[in-house]
Amino acid sequence: MLDEATILERLSRAVMDGDEDAATQAANDAVGAGMDPQRAIMEGLAAGMAEMGRLYEEGECYVPELMVSSEALYAGLAILRPLVVQSASGAIDRGVAVIGAVQGDIHDIGKNLVKMMLEVSGLAVHDLGRDVEMDAFIDECMKVKADLLCLSALMTTTIIAIKDYLPVFKAKLPGTKIMIGGAPLNQRLADEWGADGYGENAMEAARVAIRLLEG
Amino acid sequence: MLCDQLSSRERWDALIRGDSLDRVPCLQFMLGHTAVVNGKPIAKAYDDAATSLSCQRNAMELYGHDGLVMHGWANSGGAEFGGEIEFPYRKYTGAPMMKRNPVQSEADAWALKVPEDFLSVGTIPVALEFSRLQNELGMPVTIQVGSPLTWAGSVCGEERLMLWIMKKPELVHHVLGIITDFILKKAEYWVKTFGAERLMAFDLCIETNKLYSPKQFETFAFPYLREIHDQLTAAGVAIFLTHICGEQNKNLPFWSQLSYGKRGMISVGKEVALSAASAAFPDCVIMGNVDPVIVQEGSPEDVLALCKASIEEGKVHPGGYALMTGCEVPPQAPPVNVGQMVPACREFGRY
Ligand code: B12
Repeated sequence: MLDEATILERLSRAVMDGDEDAATQAANDAVGAGMDPQRAIMEGLAAGMAEMGRLYEEGECYVPELMVSSEALYAGLAILRPLVVQSASGAIDRGVAVIGAVQGDIHDIGKNLVKMMLEVSGLAVHDLGRDVEMDAFIDECMKVKADLLCLSALMTTTIIAIKDYLPVFKAKLPGTKIMIGGAPLNQRLADEWGADGYGENAMEAARVAIRLLEG
Repeated sequence: MLCDQLSSRERWDALIRGDSLDRVPCLQFMLGHTAVVNGKPIAKAYDDAATSLSCQRNAMELYGHDGLVMHGWANSGGAEFGGEIEFPYRKYTGAPMMKRNPVQSEADAWALKVPEDFLSVGTIPVALEFSRLQNELGMPVTIQVGSPLTWAGSVCGEERLMLWIMKKPELVHHVLGIITDFILKKAEYWVKTFGAERLMAFDLCIETNKLYSPKQFETFAFPYLREIHDQLTAAGVAIFLTHICGEQNKNLPFWSQLSYGKRGMISVGKEVALSAASAAFPDCVIMGNVDPVIVQEGSPEDVLALCKASIEEGKVHPGGYALMTGCEVPPQAPPVNVGQMVPACREFGRY
């Protein structure tokens, strides 16, 4: 029987290597060994992705490597996630999030990384894609009873959309926390415009999301 | 008020010949913004050759810029291979965007071909009309020739492309080969129609180290750029204008190996120091690198201060220097901010 430390190590290694098959196998081994699936996700898969995120920030790895890592991560998640709901820790269901890149913006690489980190953190994420109009966000948030709305914008032309949307969302979606992000944004603008949270990168986005939902 | 000794036309010619100048020239890459200051929809800068040209010329005169007038954008290539493109008519849109990439699967990628009727696909008819008008007016005739890797993102979708770079490199090389053939075929037509000596070939290249490693750049961007630059230089194309977008410090050793015809003009973003560009391209004109975000969001004083810093760093470059923003002027930038640049050249850029 494999010990848990070895399985966790294999899960995170599989993610770091971008090896889908290895991730699937390690996830199956985690199930076979009777591990807490939430722990396998957080300390195995997510830990590997967090390490990749750190390497990216330091210029030691690049987006194509992040892409294959995220594929491996999703392969592992596909096995472990369905088991979490039934597990003792009951840690899943941190909440429901809606995410999208705002109208006029088709940059979605960063947004997709944020989505992934929210998913591994236990949120159910509804992704509206890119170039999303204001009403589409509102409709989706109402439909899925979103706890969190995540807006991404990468350009000076489109951060203006976030600024315009925020008061409307505040009025129409009183139960939904709003988190914003994207390279031209910062905490100061987020505060000024009345967003509930801001995240500089995907890792931080997950931390802020959890804080917002628990707070 | 400080007076200029040269007209814009004379200053441009002197910059290209490498002659002495009265002051630092100001060149700008701006499309959407020229439509805005002309009271036209931004999309007209892209989908209507005559309007685009007249908006650009009017704005150039309004601001006193010494260039650039051109038609193109970073996210191009996809429409030419059958993808669906949307021009920026809707609110918040500032540049053309791909609505559907033509390549959705590996099978699509393997089946990719240079279109037979290449003059009628995508936005080529508008680009050709734009070049015809430039030619009639005796201006440099521009043609977008790259970069193939940037185009491949538009053809395949950037995320799919990046996954294939890791998992199916041979497929990516196949796509890049076809795109390069297409660009060369288009360029051959431009050379035949307008004459190589009239052409200014330009690249808009987003392969930054925020996305790709220098090794990936070397493998997937560099060989195709080299093929295009070599062939066009051999055909007699005189001027190359290459916009190296964003953080590309680790790619500079590759960029500096390309041939740039008689006169290379290299534009860099705020992430690349002008001194670093100067060291990498001693014989080329370098242009940059005022932060476009500040040009939109900052005060006129902020913009002036950035211009001063760029001018002081760039002016000493032996190959020639022109003040420019680090990427396209944001369409909604306040005209008063954009209007700081030429006065900055007059005040801080005298030779
Ligand atoms: C890739 C890219 C493209 C690709 C996009 C492909 C895609 N599918 O996303 C293509 C080629 C299509 C493209 C097109 C254009 N682009 Co572009 N592009 C880039 C580039 C090179 C990288 C962006 C990126 O993916 N970074 C990597 C990811 C991982 O980082 P990220 O996006 O910042 O995301 C992280 C954080 O910001 C944060 N985050 C992101 N979203 C969210 C959301 C939330 C809620 C939170 C908490 C956090 C968060 O977490 C992410 C992960 O860590 C940047 C330059 C640069 N170096 O940033 C220019 C850049 C963003 N583009 C720019 C421009 C101008 C354009 C064009 C207008 C160019 C043109 N004239 O044609 C078009 C416009 C298209 C459109 N309508 O949207 C400018 C924007 C300038 C500005 N500030 O206004 C930039 C900055 C380039 C520059 N130097 O000027 N581009």
